[in-house]
Amino acid sequence: MYRQVLKAQWLAARLPVVLLAVLGFALPLLTVTFGGNVADAPVERVGQWLLAAQQVGVLIPGLALLSGLLLGIAAWAPDHAAKHVYALSLPVPRAMFVLLRFAAGATLLAVPVVALGAGALVATLAVSLPDGVHAYPVQLTVRFAMASIVCFAIFFAISIATSRAALATLGVICGVLLADLVIGSLNIKDAASVTTTVFYLLTTWPGPLSILVGRWALFDV
Amino acid sequence: MSRVVRVAVALALTAGARVAAAQGARGGEAATRALLARAEALQAQLARQDSVARQARYAELRARRFDAGDLTVLLPAAVGEVTGRRIATGAWAYLDTLGAIPAGYVRSLVAVAYEATERDSVTSAEGLQHRTRVMVEVPAHPDTLADGWTVAIEIARAYVDTLDADWRAWLPFDLGIGWKHGREDAAALRDLAAAATRTGSECLGGTAAGCRLWLGLDRDPDPFASRYTVAEIRQVAAARPFYEYMGPVVTQCVGGSDEACLRFARSGQVRPVPASTSAIRSVLREVRVVHGADALRRALADTTGAIGQRLARAAGIGEDSLVREWREWLLTGGGGPRIAAGFREAMPVLVFGGLLLLAAARSGRWR
Repeated sequence: MYRQVLKAQWLAARLPVVLLAVLGFALPLLTVTFGGNVADAPVERVGQWLLAAQQVGVLIPGLALLSGLLLGIAAWAPDHAAKHVYALSLPVPRAMFVLLRFAAGATLLAVPVVALGAGALVATLAVSLPDGVHAYPVQLTVRFAMASIVCFAIFFAISIATSRAALATLGVICGVLLADLVIGSLNIKDAASVTTTVFYLLTTWPGPLSILVGRWALFDV
Repeated sequence: MSRVVRVAVALALTAGARVAAAQGARGGEAATRALLARAEALQAQLARQDSVARQARYAELRARRFDAGDLTVLLPAAVGEVTGRRIATGAWAYLDTLGAIPAGYVRSLVAVAYEATERDSVTSAEGLQHRTRVMVEVPAHPDTLADGWTVAIEIARAYVDTLDADWRAWLPFDLGIGWKHGREDAAALRDLAAAATRTGSECLGGTAAGCRLWLGLDRDPDPFASRYTVAEIRQVAAARPFYEYMGPVVTQCVGGSDEACLRFARSGQVRPVPASTSAIRSVLREVRVVHGADALRRALADTTGAIGQRLARAAGIGEDSLVREWREWLLTGGGGPRIAAGFREAMPVLVFGGLLLLAAARSGRWR
């Protein structure tokens, strides 16, 4: 059953998967374009190179977000198009079908993850690093995998949610923004921004989006 | 009647009286005298009111004592109980958090606001006459700015003034009080990454000797010769606006004379320490965070050897180890791992992913 679902999902999402794989492979290699032989480079170039590596690293959580978005939506796109007839015709409970869809999507997500890992490995082998600078290809790949799974889970759940659930989510977001507007208009001293607080809670450990922020550089001290 | 109106009336009466007197009419003399008397009476009333207002204001500014921890502050009574306490508590919190200034030193001081009146009588009455006064400014808007930072800064400045010449030349005046994590360490990192000197670049590249020179930690007999290249000094000279008119030394330096460049640097035109103040503050912060307040306090109390040796001795490690440790601390944004991808990071991912999967299984458009 899993193989059939995976195959159906692959047919629906093969173009984004290939695109993400190419991007995943290329991103770590971008760092190398700033120069490969850093060990013998003038010392002032090492600093510029490290900063460039950090700037490239900023793009990687963006790729994780894109991967989650494309594959999360693609997981349910054929079902939405066919009014869920295929799903209803299957002899499996609904929860099992959702699990199968999630597993198939996560499997497809492995393609850009592996591509990024390969790109990071090639980039690591292509440079000679000075003392004190290290490469982190494994950590980067694992972190990318975790960030992709979080983003995939979010968009996977949003895609299959009922109109009521989608409205509720939208309502919460609007409520937070409205609360901020009201607090701002009341001119209350020392009042905390609700949006900032929510963002802080989401992006600070153990917030679910904390994996997306922080350090992402392949080469670092 | 407002003061302005009274003054206007008095001036009008005075002017009218003078005009009348100028006319020389005998019958008008009585009226003139009356008008003058009226004007003088109004002026006297105004002076009395001013005096009362001045006395009231003087009383409002009378020094009032606020204590927090080991710190005593005399502030104008007008700041009020709440703000005064907030200033004293905030200042003490800054000093206590830094922990570099000995408690005994803080107890030997009394911070006195410039604006406070009757300072002598209040210090005597409060038994503070033997303490050293440190003059401080009360922020212009106590409600929004009075977190005690200005008071803490002045006490730090006073403490730095008690240290030996090496410390006084090297330390930032504020001792790094109120360090903002995430903002100031980023500024220090930017300064290091964009350092326009050879020593700064070497430091960024991982050479401990480069860091020592860039930070000015060694006691060099000629710091300009060891910490800068002549080309760097020449660049500083050439960057001065209208350098052509700044004397022969500058023009000779820009013209290619190495000796003139060194003379230009030694004349006080170039900072003896190439590192920025942010970078120096980051060294103090690193010692404070990694080795504790005691280490920083010990280092500041030490008067033997160069700055780097004092800091290293207090931290209990070698000088090169200390600068390597600082460099890594700065580059890693506070010593954290560069890329973390362990169980700690995986846990929220798994929990959140599981919850979303559960939500997706329980809710659906085709249910």
